[in-house]
Amino acid sequence: MQHRLIQSVGIAWTILYSIFIIWIYATEPRTFKEVAAGAQAATGTYEIDQGRFSAALEMFHREQFRAAREEWQLADPGMRDARTQFYIAYAFYREGWGRFYYDKDLFKQGLDVVNRAINLAPEGTLVVDDPDLQMHTAAELKAELEKGLEPGLGDINPFKVFRKRK
Amino acid sequence: MNTVQRSRNRALLRFVLLPMIFLTVALLGGLRIDVDTHAFIFIPPPLITLILSVLLMTLFIRGHAIELRRWVTSEQSTLTNISHVLTLLTLYFASAQALNSVLPERGLLFWLFSFFFLWTLWNNQFSNFDARRLLRSLAVLFGTAFFLKHMFLASLFAPEGGWAKKVAGFLLEVGTLGTLDYQVFAPATGYISFFTLALYVGGLILLTPSPEPEERSALALLRAYQNLPPLERMTVRASIMEPQTNQPALAQEVSTETETIEIRGEVVEAESEDTLAGEKEKGKR
Repeated sequence: MQHRLIQSVGIAWTILYSIFIIWIYATEPRTFKEVAAGAQAATGTYEIDQGRFSAALEMFHREQFRAAREEWQLADPGMRDARTQFYIAYAFYREGWGRFYYDKDLFKQGLDVVNRAINLAPEGTLVVDDPDLQMHTAAELKAELEKGLEPGLGDINPFKVFRKRK
Repeated sequence: MNTVQRSRNRALLRFVLLPMIFLTVALLGGLRIDVDTHAFIFIPPPLITLILSVLLMTLFIRGHAIELRRWVTSEQSTLTNISHVLTLLTLYFASAQALNSVLPERGLLFWLFSFFFLWTLWNNQFSNFDARRLLRSLAVLFGTAFFLKHMFLASLFAPEGGWAKKVAGFLLEVGTLGTLDYQVFAPATGYISFFTLALYVGGLILLTPSPEPEERSALALLRAYQNLPPLERMTVRASIMEPQTNQPALAQEVSTETETIEIRGEVVEAESEDTLAGEKEKGKR
């Protein structure tokens, strides 16, 4: 009877540990914090730091985009919250946007983050009701970032100086 | 320790501890630490390590480090068989990841190391091995690869190395037409790899050829004898034949007598030397 119990515990333990290893190699966390955040997300107990999120939002409105991004990254260390990821992508867009040219590096990073936000959103649709933003969906933001990365005749159009940042 | 406790401990080792050890090896075998950011990098086992691991498993079976017929048999319950299969599977993946831990990640060195592993393991398939020798051979093989990757190459390509190291690294890169492509990691990677290999070898030491102790020890002895090279077989035959000619009790008596004689002989010799010296002195006088 005791033997059977040890066997059952051993099998269950082996399977659970194997699943954990597969999950680790599939998600490739970079720090212990990300491992913990990932585990919380897997168990449905993951929550972002609301205080940091609000502080980052204030910085974003003051156009301190880099600082806002860092604060949002601290608020969502596991990169599991679609809304926070959307705001990070938006910060990349706003910082990278220029009247004469776009910063392609920042736009590329923004595109990666907005794609992550779309993947995290239920059914891939993410809507953010923030009156201070001109784009409210992740799809709009993605299209805008992609447009900025595509080379075209518009790049040499002198009237582009009149375009507006969203 | 009574039989029940012994049996329980054996079950704990087989069903819980061994899978845990091998799975930890599987987890840590692909872990590297980035040299700049110190972030984790998880490298899944490359295809070649899976092939090498198959060779290792066949080597374990051929070297009787695993008696497959005793691990998985129709005489055992389904639960026991499932448990044993899982333990063997964890051993397979641990072997793959232990190899992954000592193989360079890419470039020419990756293929060179892989080739040497393949060559060694393939050659070993045709050698006579018992479990203990196989374990020693594997420990040396992994130890050598660890030394080459985590000590020699890591030191040669270390970013903080002196100019001599940098020149040597550069010449090596140029000499191999840039195919070397060695990836540098933080020193912690070497420590993780060392721990992983120690755990893997420890797991192999704990792994018994058969899950339960062999009842028919004569058969096991015969099998061990068959695995020996001809010279050692002769030695075994000679040592078996020796006590057969003399009865064990008689042999013990004979050996005791010999020892007594030897001791007595020394004492007698010592006395006789003294006596001789005394006689000489007397003669001089």
